[in-house]
Amino acid sequence: MTAPRHIRTPLARVRGFGAARSGTDTFWHQRVTAVASVPLTIAAIVIMIMLLGRNQAAVAQILGSPLVAIIMLLFVVSITAHMRIGMQVIIEDYVHHDPLKLVLLVSNSFFAIIVGLTSVYGLLKLSFGL
Amino acid sequence: MAETRSLDGRAPAQRPLSPHLQIYRPMLTMMMSIVHRITGAANYFGTILLAWWINAAAGPSGYARFQWFAGSWIGRIILFGYTWSVIHHMLGGIRHLIWDSGRGFGANEREWLAAANLIGSIAITIILWVIGLLAMGGSQ
Amino acid sequence: MAQLTLPKNSKITEGKTWPRPAKARATREYRIYRWNPEDGRNPRIDTYYVDTDDCGPMVLDGLIWIKNNVDATLTFRRSCREGICGSCAMNIDGTNTLACTKAMSDVKGPLRIYPLPHMAVVKDLVPDLTNFYAQHASIEPWLRTISPTPRQEWRQSHDDRQKLDGLYECILCACCSTACPSYWWNSDRFLGPAALLQAQRWLLDSRDEATGERLDNLEDPFRLYRCHTIMNCTKACPKHLNPAKAIADIKRTLVERQV
Repeated sequence: MTAPRHIRTPLARVRGFGAARSGTDTFWHQRVTAVASVPLTIAAIVIMIMLLGRNQAAVAQILGSPLVAIIMLLFVVSITAHMRIGMQVIIEDYVHHDPLKLVLLVSNSFFAIIVGLTSVYGLLKLSFGL
Repeated sequence: MAETRSLDGRAPAQRPLSPHLQIYRPMLTMMMSIVHRITGAANYFGTILLAWWINAAAGPSGYARFQWFAGSWIGRIILFGYTWSVIHHMLGGIRHLIWDSGRGFGANEREWLAAANLIGSIAITIILWVIGLLAMGGSQ
Repeated sequence: MAQLTLPKNSKITEGKTWPRPAKARATREYRIYRWNPEDGRNPRIDTYYVDTDDCGPMVLDGLIWIKNNVDATLTFRRSCREGICGSCAMNIDGTNTLACTKAMSDVKGPLRIYPLPHMAVVKDLVPDLTNFYAQHASIEPWLRTISPTPRQEWRQSHDDRQKLDGLYECILCACCSTACPSYWWNSDRFLGPAALLQAQRWLLDSRDEATGERLDNLEDPFRLYRCHTIMNCTKACPKHLNPAKAIADIKRTLVERQV
Protein backbone atom coordinates (compact mmCIF):
# COMPACT_ATOMS: atom_id res chain seq x y z
CA MET A 1 0.00 0.00 0.00
CA THR A 2 1.42 3.36 -0.99
CA ALA A 3 1.35 6.22 1.43
CA PRO A 4 -1.16 8.94 0.58
CA ARG A 5 0.45 11.97 -1.03
CA HIS A 6 -1.77 14.46 0.77
CA ILE A 7 -3.51 14.21 4.11
CA ARG A 8 -5.88 17.07 4.94
CA THR A 9 -8.97 17.18 7.08
CA PRO A 10 -12.28 17.56 5.24
CA LEU A 11 -12.78 20.96 6.88
CA ALA A 12 -9.35 22.14 5.67
CA ARG A 13 -10.35 21.20 2.12
CA VAL A 14 -13.66 23.07 2.39
CA ARG A 15 -12.14 26.19 3.95
CA GLY A 16 -9.38 26.14 1.34
CA PHE A 17 -8.00 29.61 0.56
CA GLY A 18 -10.98 31.20 2.30
CA ALA A 19 -13.70 33.27 0.69
CA ALA A 20 -12.61 35.59 -2.12
CA ARG A 21 -14.86 38.30 -0.62
CA SER A 22 -15.97 39.13 -4.12
CA GLY A 23 -18.64 38.04 -6.52
CA THR A 24 -21.31 40.47 -5.41
CA ASP A 25 -20.07 43.07 -7.91
CA THR A 26 -20.24 40.50 -10.71
CA PHE A 27 -23.72 39.48 -9.58
CA TRP A 28 -24.84 43.10 -9.39
CA HIS A 29 -23.40 44.09 -12.80
CA GLN A 30 -25.07 41.04 -14.33
CA ARG A 31 -28.41 42.27 -12.98
CA VAL A 32 -27.91 45.92 -13.91
CA THR A 33 -27.02 45.01 -17.50
CA ALA A 34 -29.96 42.59 -17.54
CA VAL A 35 -32.37 45.33 -16.47
CA ALA A 36 -30.90 47.71 -19.06
CA SER A 37 -30.98 45.08 -21.79
CA VAL A 38 -34.73 44.43 -21.55
CA PRO A 39 -35.97 47.81 -22.87
CA LEU A 40 -32.92 48.17 -25.13
CA THR A 41 -33.54 44.77 -26.74
CA ILE A 42 -37.19 45.63 -27.31
CA ALA A 43 -36.13 48.94 -28.88
CA ALA A 44 -33.49 47.22 -31.04
CA ILE A 45 -36.05 44.68 -32.29
CA VAL A 46 -38.46 47.49 -33.19
CA ILE A 47 -35.66 49.25 -35.09
CA MET A 48 -34.71 46.07 -36.94
CA ILE A 49 -38.32 45.43 -37.97
CA MET A 50 -38.55 49.04 -39.18
CA LEU A 51 -35.49 48.46 -41.36
CA LEU A 52 -36.68 45.19 -42.90
CA GLY A 53 -36.90 45.27 -46.66
CA ARG A 54 -35.32 48.72 -46.97
CA ASN A 55 -32.31 49.29 -49.21
CA GLN A 56 -28.79 49.88 -47.91
CA ALA A 57 -28.87 53.66 -48.24
CA ALA A 58 -32.05 53.91 -46.15
CA VAL A 59 -30.73 51.46 -43.55
CA ALA A 60 -27.45 53.38 -43.27
CA GLN A 61 -29.28 56.67 -42.90
CA ILE A 62 -31.70 55.43 -40.23
CA LEU A 63 -29.08 53.47 -38.27
CA GLY A 64 -26.85 56.54 -38.33
CA SER A 65 -29.54 58.97 -37.19
CA PRO A 66 -28.89 60.25 -33.65
CA LEU A 67 -31.72 58.63 -31.66
CA VAL A 68 -31.45 55.23 -33.37
CA ALA A 69 -27.65 55.22 -33.19
CA ILE A 70 -27.63 56.07 -29.50
CA ILE A 71 -30.18 53.37 -28.71
CA MET A 72 -28.19 50.84 -30.71
CA LEU A 73 -24.92 51.90 -29.03
CA LEU A 74 -26.46 51.47 -25.58
CA PHE A 75 -27.91 48.12 -26.67
CA VAL A 76 -24.54 46.85 -27.90
CA VAL A 77 -22.67 48.00 -24.79
CA SER A 78 -25.27 46.56 -22.43
CA ILE A 79 -25.53 43.12 -24.04
CA THR A 80 -21.80 42.64 -24.57
CA ALA A 81 -21.09 43.54 -20.94
CA HIS A 82 -23.89 41.19 -19.86
CA MET A 83 -22.78 38.30 -22.05
CA ARG A 84 -19.18 38.56 -20.93
CA ILE A 85 -20.23 37.90 -17.33
CA GLY A 86 -22.64 35.16 -18.41
CA MET A 87 -20.03 33.26 -20.39
CA GLN A 88 -17.53 33.68 -17.56
CA VAL A 89 -19.97 31.97 -15.19
CA ILE A 90 -20.50 29.13 -17.67
CA ILE A 91 -16.74 28.60 -18.01
CA GLU A 92 -16.26 28.65 -14.23
CA ASP A 93 -19.05 26.09 -13.83
CA TYR A 94 -17.63 23.49 -16.15
CA VAL A 95 -13.88 24.06 -16.45
CA HIS A 96 -11.85 23.50 -13.28
CA HIS A 97 -8.22 24.04 -12.30
CA ASP A 98 -6.98 23.78 -15.81
CA PRO A 99 -4.74 25.93 -18.06
CA LEU A 100 -7.71 25.75 -20.44
CA LYS A 101 -9.75 27.75 -17.93
CA LEU A 102 -7.42 30.75 -18.16
CA VAL A 103 -7.35 30.56 -21.96
CA LEU A 104 -11.15 30.46 -22.10
CA LEU A 105 -11.63 33.28 -19.59
CA VAL A 106 -9.24 35.54 -21.49
CA SER A 107 -10.75 34.57 -24.87
CA ASN A 108 -14.19 35.36 -23.49
CA SER A 109 -13.16 38.89 -22.54
CA PHE A 110 -11.46 39.39 -25.91
CA PHE A 111 -14.50 38.13 -27.82
CA ALA A 112 -16.92 40.36 -25.93
CA ILE A 113 -14.72 43.42 -26.39
CA ILE A 114 -14.03 42.73 -30.08
CA VAL A 115 -17.68 42.14 -30.97
CA GLY A 116 -18.75 45.12 -28.87
CA LEU A 117 -16.22 47.57 -30.28
CA THR A 118 -16.70 46.34 -33.86
CA SER A 119 -20.40 47.07 -33.57
CA VAL A 120 -19.74 50.44 -31.92
CA TYR A 121 -17.30 51.30 -34.70
CA GLY A 122 -19.90 50.42 -37.35
CA LEU A 123 -22.56 52.55 -35.69
CA LEU A 124 -20.26 55.56 -35.23
CA LYS A 125 -19.15 55.27 -38.84
CA LEU A 126 -22.77 55.42 -40.00
CA SER A 127 -23.50 58.30 -37.61
CA PHE A 128 -20.62 60.45 -38.76
CA GLY A 129 -20.93 59.36 -42.37
CA LEU A 130 -17.24 58.51 -42.69
CA MET B 1 -13.11 12.58 -6.39
CA ALA B 2 -10.70 12.65 -3.54
CA GLU B 3 -9.01 9.43 -2.61
CA THR B 4 -10.81 7.80 0.28
CA ARG B 5 -9.63 5.07 2.62
CA SER B 6 -11.70 2.12 3.68
CA LEU B 7 -12.67 2.19 7.34
CA ASP B 8 -10.41 -0.69 8.34
CA GLY B 9 -7.40 1.06 6.81
CA ARG B 10 -6.91 -1.28 3.88
CA ALA B 11 -6.07 -0.11 0.38
CA PRO B 12 -8.46 2.60 -0.73
CA ALA B 13 -11.45 1.33 -2.60
CA GLN B 14 -11.93 3.27 -5.83
CA ARG B 15 -15.39 4.47 -4.98
CA PRO B 16 -17.75 4.90 -7.91
CA LEU B 17 -19.58 8.14 -8.58
CA SER B 18 -23.33 7.73 -8.17
CA PRO B 19 -25.38 8.46 -11.32
CA HIS B 20 -26.80 12.00 -11.61
CA LEU B 21 -27.96 13.50 -14.94
CA GLN B 22 -28.48 9.93 -16.14
CA ILE B 23 -31.18 9.23 -13.55
CA TYR B 24 -32.57 12.56 -12.32
CA ARG B 25 -36.15 13.16 -13.38
CA PRO B 26 -36.28 16.03 -15.89
CA MET B 27 -38.44 18.78 -14.41
CA LEU B 28 -39.74 21.93 -16.07
CA THR B 29 -37.80 24.39 -13.87
CA MET B 30 -34.55 22.43 -14.27
CA MET B 31 -35.02 22.19 -18.06
CA MET B 32 -35.82 25.91 -18.29
CA SER B 33 -32.65 26.65 -16.35
CA ILE B 34 -30.47 24.81 -18.85
CA VAL B 35 -32.41 26.35 -21.76
CA HIS B 36 -31.71 29.78 -20.25
CA ARG B 37 -28.02 28.93 -20.31
CA ILE B 38 -28.14 27.51 -23.86
CA THR B 39 -30.03 30.53 -25.23
CA GLY B 40 -27.57 32.82 -23.44
CA ALA B 41 -24.67 31.06 -25.12
CA ALA B 42 -26.48 31.18 -28.49
CA ASN B 43 -27.07 34.92 -28.09
CA TYR B 44 -23.39 35.30 -27.25
CA PHE B 45 -22.36 33.93 -30.64
CA GLY B 46 -25.35 35.59 -32.29
CA THR B 47 -23.74 38.96 -31.64
CA ILE B 48 -21.40 38.11 -34.54
CA LEU B 49 -24.45 38.43 -36.81
CA LEU B 50 -25.35 41.73 -35.16
CA ALA B 51 -21.84 43.13 -35.69
CA TRP B 52 -21.88 41.88 -39.29
CA TRP B 53 -25.25 43.52 -40.02
CA ILE B 54 -24.24 46.88 -38.49
CA ASN B 55 -20.96 46.99 -40.40
CA ALA B 56 -22.52 45.72 -43.63
CA ALA B 57 -24.86 48.70 -43.61
CA ALA B 58 -21.94 50.96 -44.55
CA GLY B 59 -21.87 49.93 -48.22
CA PRO B 60 -24.18 48.50 -50.93
CA SER B 61 -22.12 45.41 -51.82
CA GLY B 62 -21.60 44.40 -48.20
CA TYR B 63 -25.27 44.91 -47.42
CA ALA B 64 -26.27 42.87 -50.46
CA ARG B 65 -24.16 40.01 -49.13
CA PHE B 66 -25.87 40.24 -45.73
CA GLN B 67 -29.29 40.39 -47.35
CA TRP B 68 -28.48 37.35 -49.47
CA PHE B 69 -27.61 35.46 -46.28
CA ALA B 70 -30.65 36.71 -44.37
CA GLY B 71 -32.94 35.79 -47.25
CA SER B 72 -31.55 32.28 -47.76
CA TRP B 73 -33.22 29.28 -46.16
CA ILE B 74 -30.38 28.59 -43.81
CA GLY B 75 -30.16 32.30 -42.94
CA ARG B 76 -33.88 32.45 -42.20
CA ILE B 77 -33.69 29.41 -39.95
CA ILE B 78 -30.72 30.86 -38.07
CA LEU B 79 -32.42 34.25 -37.70
CA PHE B 80 -35.67 32.65 -36.55
CA GLY B 81 -33.77 30.63 -33.96
CA TYR B 82 -31.83 33.72 -32.92
CA THR B 83 -35.08 35.68 -32.48
CA TRP B 84 -36.55 32.96 -30.27
CA SER B 85 -33.29 32.62 -28.35
CA VAL B 86 -33.16 36.36 -27.60
CA ILE B 87 -36.83 36.57 -26.60
CA HIS B 88 -36.61 33.41 -24.49
CA HIS B 89 -33.50 34.60 -22.69
CA MET B 90 -35.05 38.01 -22.11
CA LEU B 91 -38.21 36.54 -20.57
CA GLY B 92 -36.08 34.06 -18.60
CA GLY B 93 -34.04 36.99 -17.36
CA ILE B 94 -37.18 38.73 -16.12
CA ARG B 95 -38.06 35.48 -14.31
CA HIS B 96 -34.65 35.49 -12.67
CA LEU B 97 -35.03 39.15 -11.67
CA ILE B 98 -38.33 38.27 -9.98
CA TRP B 99 -36.55 35.50 -8.06
CA ASP B 100 -33.67 37.83 -7.18
CA SER B 101 -36.21 40.11 -5.54
CA GLY B 102 -37.18 37.19 -3.27
CA ARG B 103 -40.52 36.52 -4.94
CA GLY B 104 -41.89 33.68 -7.06
CA PHE B 105 -40.43 30.77 -5.07
CA GLY B 106 -43.78 29.15 -4.24
CA ALA B 107 -44.70 25.74 -5.65
CA ASN B 108 -47.28 27.15 -8.08
CA GLU B 109 -45.51 30.39 -8.94
CA ARG B 110 -42.25 28.79 -10.04
CA GLU B 111 -44.04 26.35 -12.35
CA TRP B 112 -46.28 29.07 -13.71
CA LEU B 113 -43.30 31.35 -14.39
CA ALA B 114 -41.44 28.57 -16.20
CA ALA B 115 -44.43 27.69 -18.37
CA ALA B 116 -45.16 31.37 -19.12
CA ASN B 117 -41.53 31.84 -20.12
CA LEU B 118 -41.69 29.03 -22.69
CA ILE B 119 -45.15 29.77 -24.08
CA GLY B 120 -44.47 33.52 -24.14
CA SER B 121 -41.18 33.19 -26.01
CA ILE B 122 -42.68 30.97 -28.71
CA ALA B 123 -45.75 33.19 -29.13
CA ILE B 124 -43.79 36.45 -29.27
CA THR B 125 -41.30 35.01 -31.75
CA ILE B 126 -44.07 33.92 -34.10
CA ILE B 127 -45.83 37.30 -33.80
CA LEU B 128 -42.58 39.18 -34.51
CA TRP B 129 -41.94 37.08 -37.62
CA VAL B 130 -45.46 37.56 -38.90
CA ILE B 131 -45.05 41.34 -38.45
CA GLY B 132 -41.61 41.20 -40.03
CA LEU B 133 -42.69 39.20 -43.07
CA LEU B 134 -45.71 41.47 -43.55
CA ALA B 135 -43.44 44.55 -43.32
CA MET B 136 -41.09 43.10 -45.90
CA GLY B 137 -43.97 42.11 -48.19
CA GLY B 138 -45.43 45.57 -47.86
CA SER B 139 -42.28 47.46 -48.73
CA GLN B 140 -41.26 45.40 -51.73
CA MET C 1 -13.32 19.69 -16.28
CA ALA C 2 -16.39 19.14 -14.16
CA GLN C 3 -17.37 15.46 -13.96
CA LEU C 4 -20.27 15.58 -16.43
CA THR C 5 -20.28 11.87 -17.27
CA LEU C 6 -19.81 8.72 -15.23
CA PRO C 7 -16.19 7.55 -14.90
CA LYS C 8 -15.33 4.07 -16.16
CA ASN C 9 -15.56 2.44 -12.73
CA SER C 10 -19.01 3.98 -12.17
CA LYS C 11 -20.81 2.75 -15.29
CA ILE C 12 -23.83 0.74 -14.26
CA THR C 13 -24.12 -2.86 -15.42
CA GLU C 14 -26.89 -5.45 -15.46
CA GLY C 15 -27.40 -7.09 -12.08
CA LYS C 16 -29.23 -10.04 -10.62
CA THR C 17 -32.97 -10.62 -10.54
CA TRP C 18 -33.90 -12.16 -7.21
CA PRO C 19 -36.78 -14.67 -7.12
CA ARG C 20 -40.32 -13.50 -6.38
CA PRO C 21 -41.55 -14.38 -2.89
CA ALA C 22 -43.24 -17.77 -3.26
CA LYS C 23 -46.64 -17.24 -1.69
CA ALA C 24 -47.07 -13.50 -2.24
CA ARG C 25 -50.40 -12.36 -3.66
CA ALA C 26 -49.28 -8.77 -4.38
CA THR C 27 -45.70 -7.61 -5.07
CA ARG C 28 -43.84 -4.44 -5.96
CA GLU C 29 -40.74 -4.49 -8.10
CA TYR C 30 -37.66 -2.74 -6.66
CA ARG C 31 -34.68 -1.98 -8.94
CA ILE C 32 -31.84 -1.04 -6.66
CA TYR C 33 -28.33 0.29 -7.27
CA ARG C 34 -25.75 -2.07 -5.79
CA TRP C 35 -22.03 -1.64 -5.36
CA ASN C 36 -19.79 -3.77 -3.22
CA PRO C 37 -16.33 -2.35 -2.45
CA GLU C 38 -14.96 -5.85 -1.98
CA ASP C 39 -15.81 -7.66 -5.21
CA GLY C 40 -13.95 -5.35 -7.60
CA ARG C 41 -16.92 -5.11 -9.97
CA ASN C 42 -18.80 -2.12 -11.36
CA PRO C 43 -22.10 -0.95 -9.86
CA ARG C 44 -25.14 -2.91 -11.00
CA ILE C 45 -28.93 -2.83 -10.72
CA ASP C 46 -30.49 -5.73 -8.81
CA THR C 47 -34.20 -6.49 -9.13
CA TYR C 48 -36.24 -7.59 -6.10
CA TYR C 49 -39.90 -8.33 -5.50
CA VAL C 50 -41.45 -7.17 -2.23
CA ASP C 51 -44.48 -8.89 -0.75
CA THR C 52 -46.66 -5.84 -0.09
CA ASP C 53 -49.08 -7.81 2.11
CA ASP C 54 -46.22 -8.58 4.47
CA CYS C 55 -44.70 -5.10 4.59
CA GLY C 56 -45.48 -1.49 5.51
CA PRO C 57 -46.52 1.11 2.92
CA MET C 58 -43.35 3.19 2.62
CA VAL C 59 -40.39 2.71 0.30
CA LEU C 60 -38.18 2.20 3.37
CA ASP C 61 -40.49 -0.59 4.60
CA GLY C 62 -39.84 -2.39 1.33
CA LEU C 63 -36.07 -1.97 1.63
CA ILE C 64 -36.13 -3.36 5.17
CA TRP C 65 -38.34 -6.23 3.99
CA ILE C 66 -35.80 -7.09 1.29
CA LYS C 67 -32.95 -6.96 3.79
CA ASN C 68 -34.85 -9.21 6.23
CA ASN C 69 -36.31 -11.68 3.76
CA VAL C 70 -34.32 -11.74 0.53
CA ASP C 71 -30.82 -10.29 0.63
CA ALA C 72 -29.18 -9.38 3.92
CA THR C 73 -26.23 -7.75 2.11
CA LEU C 74 -28.37 -4.84 0.81
CA THR C 75 -26.90 -1.78 2.52
CA PHE C 76 -28.63 1.52 3.28
CA ARG C 77 -28.82 4.04 6.12
CA ARG C 78 -31.99 4.33 8.14
CA SER C 79 -32.96 5.17 11.68
CA CYS C 80 -36.10 7.01 12.79
CA ARG C 81 -38.47 5.91 9.97
CA GLU C 82 -40.49 9.10 10.47
CA GLY C 83 -38.69 11.81 8.53
CA ILE C 84 -36.73 13.47 11.32
CA CYS C 85 -33.29 11.86 11.25
CA GLY C 86 -32.51 12.30 7.55
CA SER C 87 -30.61 9.01 7.28
CA CYS C 88 -32.57 7.30 4.52
CA ALA C 89 -32.16 10.06 1.90
CA MET C 90 -31.82 8.50 -1.55
CA ASN C 91 -32.89 8.94 -5.15
CA ILE C 92 -36.30 7.31 -5.62
CA ASP C 93 -38.13 7.43 -8.94
CA GLY C 94 -35.78 10.14 -10.22
CA THR C 95 -35.93 12.58 -7.32
CA ASN C 96 -34.14 12.80 -4.00
CA THR C 97 -36.28 12.17 -0.96
CA LEU C 98 -36.52 10.20 2.27
CA ALA C 99 -37.40 6.53 1.79
CA CYS C 100 -39.36 6.57 5.07
CA THR C 101 -41.80 9.32 4.06
CA LYS C 102 -42.19 8.29 0.42
CA ALA C 103 -45.10 5.90 -0.09
CA MET C 104 -44.65 3.02 -2.52
CA SER C 105 -48.06 3.93 -3.93
CA ASP C 106 -46.70 7.34 -5.01
CA VAL C 107 -44.49 5.63 -7.59
CA LYS C 108 -45.90 4.08 -10.74
CA GLY C 109 -44.19 0.96 -12.07
CA PRO C 110 -40.93 -0.41 -10.66
CA LEU C 111 -39.30 1.53 -7.84
CA ARG C 112 -35.92 2.68 -9.16
CA ILE C 113 -33.62 3.46 -6.27
CA TYR C 114 -30.15 5.01 -6.44
CA PRO C 115 -27.85 6.60 -3.90
CA LEU C 116 -27.93 10.43 -3.68
CA PRO C 117 -26.60 11.69 -7.05
CA HIS C 118 -23.02 12.61 -7.97
CA MET C 119 -21.52 11.36 -4.71
CA ALA C 120 -18.78 8.87 -3.95
CA VAL C 121 -20.50 5.60 -3.04
CA VAL C 122 -19.36 3.79 0.12
CA LYS C 123 -21.59 0.78 -0.51
CA ASP C 124 -24.96 0.26 -2.27
CA LEU C 125 -27.20 3.19 -1.25
CA VAL C 126 -24.71 4.72 1.19
CA PRO C 127 -22.94 7.85 -0.12
CA ASP C 128 -19.87 9.44 1.46
CA LEU C 129 -21.19 12.58 3.17
CA THR C 130 -17.84 13.71 4.62
CA ASN C 131 -17.55 16.77 2.38
CA PHE C 132 -21.21 17.65 2.90
CA TYR C 133 -20.81 17.65 6.68
CA ALA C 134 -17.54 19.60 6.49
CA GLN C 135 -19.34 22.24 4.42
CA HIS C 136 -21.99 22.47 7.11
CA ALA C 137 -19.27 22.84 9.76
CA SER C 138 -17.58 25.55 7.68
CA ILE C 139 -20.52 27.94 8.06
CA GLU C 140 -20.08 27.67 11.85
CA PRO C 141 -23.59 26.57 12.76
CA TRP C 142 -23.58 27.84 16.32
CA LEU C 143 -24.21 31.13 18.09
CA ARG C 144 -21.17 33.41 17.80
CA THR C 145 -21.06 36.22 20.33
CA ILE C 146 -18.63 38.75 21.77
CA SER C 147 -20.75 40.24 24.55
CA PRO C 148 -20.36 38.53 27.95
CA THR C 149 -22.65 35.53 28.24
CA PRO C 150 -25.80 36.60 30.08
CA ARG C 151 -26.44 35.06 33.47
CA GLN C 152 -29.57 33.25 32.28
CA GLU C 153 -30.00 33.22 28.50
CA TRP C 154 -29.54 35.13 25.25
CA ARG C 155 -32.90 36.83 24.85
CA GLN C 156 -34.81 36.91 21.59
CA SER C 157 -38.14 38.55 20.69
CA HIS C 158 -41.02 36.51 19.37
CA ASP C 159 -40.78 38.31 16.03
CA ASP C 160 -37.08 37.54 15.71
CA ARG C 161 -37.63 33.92 16.67
CA GLN C 162 -40.21 33.61 13.91
CA LYS C 163 -37.61 34.58 11.32
CA LEU C 164 -35.96 31.21 11.91
CA ASP C 165 -39.07 29.27 10.93
CA GLY C 166 -38.54 27.51 7.62
CA LEU C 167 -34.78 27.41 8.26
CA TYR C 168 -34.09 25.66 11.55
CA GLU C 169 -36.14 22.57 10.60
CA CYS C 170 -33.45 21.30 8.22
CA ILE C 171 -32.43 17.72 9.07
CA LEU C 172 -29.25 17.71 6.93
CA CYS C 173 -30.41 14.76 4.85
CA ALA C 174 -28.53 16.15 1.80
CA CYS C 175 -31.49 15.65 -0.56
CA CYS C 176 -31.27 19.29 -1.70
CA SER C 177 -27.53 19.63 -2.21
CA THR C 178 -27.25 16.38 -4.14
CA ALA C 179 -30.22 17.37 -6.32
CA CYS C 180 -28.43 20.52 -7.47
CA PRO C 181 -26.58 20.33 -10.81
CA SER C 182 -24.37 23.21 -9.73
CA TYR C 183 -23.37 21.16 -6.68
CA TRP C 184 -22.75 18.14 -8.91
CA TRP C 185 -20.15 20.05 -10.94
CA ASN C 186 -18.67 22.16 -8.14
CA SER C 187 -19.14 20.40 -4.79
CA ASP C 188 -15.47 21.08 -3.98
CA ARG C 189 -16.06 24.86 -3.95
CA PHE C 190 -19.83 25.52 -3.91
CA LEU C 191 -21.26 25.10 -0.41
CA GLY C 192 -24.56 23.78 -1.75
CA PRO C 193 -28.17 24.54 -0.74
CA ALA C 194 -28.17 22.72 2.64
CA ALA C 195 -25.12 24.54 4.05
CA LEU C 196 -26.34 27.86 2.61
CA LEU C 197 -29.82 27.45 4.11
CA GLN C 198 -28.12 26.93 7.48
CA ALA C 199 -25.87 29.92 6.80
CA GLN C 200 -29.00 32.01 6.36
CA ARG C 201 -30.46 30.52 9.56
CA TRP C 202 -27.47 31.91 11.51
CA LEU C 203 -27.38 35.19 9.56
CA LEU C 204 -30.99 35.78 10.61
CA ASP C 205 -30.48 34.89 14.27
CA SER C 206 -31.00 38.14 16.18
CA ARG C 207 -28.73 36.90 19.03
CA ASP C 208 -25.72 36.32 16.77
CA GLU C 209 -22.98 38.96 16.80
CA ALA C 210 -20.93 37.68 13.84
CA THR C 211 -23.28 38.52 10.96
CA GLY C 212 -20.63 40.54 9.12
CA GLU C 213 -17.98 37.83 9.38
CA ARG C 214 -20.52 35.25 8.29
CA LEU C 215 -21.30 37.32 5.18
CA ASP C 216 -17.57 37.77 4.53
CA ASN C 217 -17.11 34.02 4.55
CA LEU C 218 -19.95 33.48 2.09
CA GLU C 219 -19.03 36.25 -0.34
CA ASP C 220 -17.26 34.20 -2.94
CA PRO C 221 -17.90 33.42 -6.64
CA PHE C 222 -18.00 29.71 -5.80
CA ARG C 223 -19.15 29.27 -2.20
CA LEU C 224 -22.38 31.21 -2.78
CA TYR C 225 -22.66 32.47 -6.34
CA ARG C 226 -22.64 29.04 -8.04
CA CYS C 227 -26.35 29.02 -7.21
CA HIS C 228 -28.22 29.72 -10.46
CA THR C 229 -31.73 29.27 -9.00
CA ILE C 230 -32.24 25.94 -10.76
CA MET C 231 -34.79 25.11 -8.02
CA ASN C 232 -34.06 21.36 -7.76
CA CYS C 233 -33.16 21.88 -4.09
CA THR C 234 -36.50 23.34 -3.10
CA LYS C 235 -38.39 20.73 -5.10
CA ALA C 236 -36.48 17.90 -3.45
CA CYS C 237 -36.64 19.04 0.19
CA PRO C 238 -38.63 16.41 2.13
CA LYS C 239 -39.24 18.97 4.89
CA HIS C 240 -40.75 21.45 2.40
CA LEU C 241 -38.14 24.09 3.15
CA ASN C 242 -36.98 26.56 0.49
CA PRO C 243 -33.18 26.63 0.13
CA ALA C 244 -33.42 28.44 -3.23
CA LYS C 245 -35.22 31.33 -1.54
CA ALA C 246 -32.80 31.34 1.41
CA ILE C 247 -29.88 31.67 -1.01
CA ALA C 248 -31.62 34.47 -2.94
CA ASP C 249 -32.09 36.24 0.41
CA ILE C 250 -28.36 35.92 1.20
CA LYS C 251 -27.47 37.39 -2.21
CA ARG C 252 -29.82 40.30 -1.55
CA THR C 253 -28.24 40.90 1.86
CA LEU C 254 -24.79 41.02 0.24
CA VAL C 255 -25.98 43.54 -2.34
CA GLU C 256 -27.65 45.55 0.41
CA ARG C 257 -24.46 45.88 2.42
CA GLN C 258 -22.56 47.45 -0.45
CA VAL C 259 -25.13 49.30 -2.57
